[in-house]
Amino acid sequence: MEITTSDLGLAARVQHLSKSYGAGDAGVRALDGVSVGIRRGQFTAIMGPSGSGKSTLMHIMAGLDAPTQGRAWIGDTEITGLSDVEMTVLRRRRVGFIFQAFNLVPTLDAIGNILLPFELDGRRPSAIERARIDGLVERLGLASRLNHRPHELSGGQQQRVAIARALATAPDLVFADEPTGNLDSRSGREVLELLASASRDHGQSIAMVTHDAIAASHADRVLFLGDGRITADHPQQSAEQIAAYMLAAEVAA
Amino acid sequence: MTGLAAAALDSVVPQTSATGHRLAWLRERGMGASILVAALAAAFGVILVEVTAYIGALLQSDPFLGDSGTLAIVTAILSFLLTGVAMYVAAVVTANTFATIIAGRTRRIALMRLIGASARSQRAEVTGQGFVVGLIGAATGLAIGLGISWLGMLVGAQLLQRTPESFSLAQPYILLPAVGVALTTWLAAHIGSRRVLTVTPLQALGGSVERTRDEVASLRGKHIGSLVLLIVGVALLAGGVVIGLIAPYGVIVAFVGGVLSFTGLVTGADLVMPLVLRLVGRMFGRSATARLAAENALRYPERSSRMAIGVVMGVALVTMFAVALESCKKLLLSGGDVPAEFFAPMDAFANVMMVLVAVSAVIAAVGLVNLLTIGVVQRRRELGLLRAIGLTGGQVRRMVLLEAVHITVAATATGLVLGTAYGWVAAQSLLGAVTMPPDFQPAGFILPAVPWIPVVVIVAATALLTVIAAVAPTRLATRVAPVEALAAD
Repeated sequence: MEITTSDLGLAARVQHLSKSYGAGDAGVRALDGVSVGIRRGQFTAIMGPSGSGKSTLMHIMAGLDAPTQGRAWIGDTEITGLSDVEMTVLRRRRVGFIFQAFNLVPTLDAIGNILLPFELDGRRPSAIERARIDGLVERLGLASRLNHRPHELSGGQQQRVAIARALATAPDLVFADEPTGNLDSRSGREVLELLASASRDHGQSIAMVTHDAIAASHADRVLFLGDGRITADHPQQSAEQIAAYMLAAEVAA
Repeated sequence: MTGLAAAALDSVVPQTSATGHRLAWLRERGMGASILVAALAAAFGVILVEVTAYIGALLQSDPFLGDSGTLAIVTAILSFLLTGVAMYVAAVVTANTFATIIAGRTRRIALMRLIGASARSQRAEVTGQGFVVGLIGAATGLAIGLGISWLGMLVGAQLLQRTPESFSLAQPYILLPAVGVALTTWLAAHIGSRRVLTVTPLQALGGSVERTRDEVASLRGKHIGSLVLLIVGVALLAGGVVIGLIAPYGVIVAFVGGVLSFTGLVTGADLVMPLVLRLVGRMFGRSATARLAAENALRYPERSSRMAIGVVMGVALVTMFAVALESCKKLLLSGGDVPAEFFAPMDAFANVMMVLVAVSAVIAAVGLVNLLTIGVVQRRRELGLLRAIGLTGGQVRRMVLLEAVHITVAATATGLVLGTAYGWVAAQSLLGAVTMPPDFQPAGFILPAVPWIPVVVIVAATALLTVIAAVAPTRLATRVAPVEALAAD
């Protein structure tokens, strides 16, 4: 019997993952045989310069894109080879997303956006889920903003609504793609602290793609990518250490 | 001729290395449909002119009817009115299409403004494109109209016993609808491009969140005008019905009231239609796809209202003729005994009119299909987001179909109600005082008589329209990959 992802203490993992765009000489190998796992209950940052493959890795791990070769799991479910509908339902129930911008459906108010994953599933949140959502709304300071539409919210508030939506279903994994990229430094720090506390206090597994050393310093673990491969895997580091590593990698390249 | 057109084009849209190929913008989504709309309106006008002229020639060559000019004049007036309606609908559709295209170009216009282009020159560019679209559409429509007229003449020669010998398709008046369409398209593009002036250079930077609602504060003046038209119109309609109980002149008063109130409704569509759209949206239930679809129709209330109002006009006009005819019959019958063959010419007239006003509905339908498609194209990122957080391909398809259903159901329902009201007023104000043998009692008030066959045809046609309108947008929408939510533009 095969060892499952949860036996390994992982929330998601990929094995010998490769992804190429185009063919022949013009082809680009975005990922080159990557094998890595995102530990359960941890806040993991995935770093690397532009073109390092970090976004491609995240897209595949989150079930948004298919690899050229290799396998990927979310929890104990192998997602490579799933149909589009199966993959969509899996994302809806077991993955949370926080993007850099344009996270919210502009025609729905804040609470409508938070409840969207449940409504797409054709159900109402259970009593336990309802309590969790109320707690999230409280913690994220959104109670007075629930009936506002996205254009009536500040950038930081929009990002907090996106966090609430991503955490509401208690997914196996939350994927955050440059979640602070569009925010001022104070709102950005708030968002990072909220993510860190979700993983520390509530055991939420989070994977965050970023190229910002300060953002990555909030994570429990930092993975570095370069040219489609994992180049380093560090436990929590200070922003200075991360920046120094990045700089050294740039100079060496 | 070609040289002249090229020169005209060149002066409107200069070809420089900076602007790229002069007519590349014609391939932009929405331009083709605008040309089609202009061509349909122009072809329709040309055909009506030819038919009017043909009937005139037919009457002149008939030794028995000979000098009866009345029928020729009535035909001319009807052609004029019908062409006017078709051109009006086409102009509403085109203005709406251009406004939507502008919304999609905001970023590019902002960039041009940032580099140093003035808002005025940016708008002039759009208006110039409208002029070119109008020219191409009018020329195409002229050619198609002449072709169909020629075919019609051949068929006429086969069916009719006495055909006019010296009839020529080269009627000078066919230039009127063509020129009219070109000019109204130009004007419509100008009106539709108003929003260019509000684009700021700053919008080229920052990824600001899209505004959910259009601001409508500046339109208050226009709304008061619509309201006055509506109130005066309804008062005249009521007056017409009352006068109609005494004499048939009531129909003239009611006609003026009808024109005024309908103009008020059309210009104030963004006041009335959102209410109807909201009501219809509630009927869809509370599922996520239904709510997303319903909210989307209200995202740009002005745009949705104008999208619907073309269909409302078409449906209302067809219904009006059907209900007026049926109610007239009922009034005549309640006024006394009428032989059945008395109704035959009335039936024929109403049927011909219904077919003719249906052309306006077709033009409105083209606009509807086009706007729904552009709506999907401009929402790629939002659709990508929805796919990422769990909307399946099937749910996307259902959502876009519901969006089309939303507009057509609201428009059809409004059109049926309006058409029934106008048709009833027409019949009541014309024949409320009619007396027929043997009793010679005035007919008095009747309830509107709604013939069910035209209603079924209308509902079936709009259902078909909905399906057709949803094909292209759903195909585009289901092609959006979830990764697009993450792509920076």
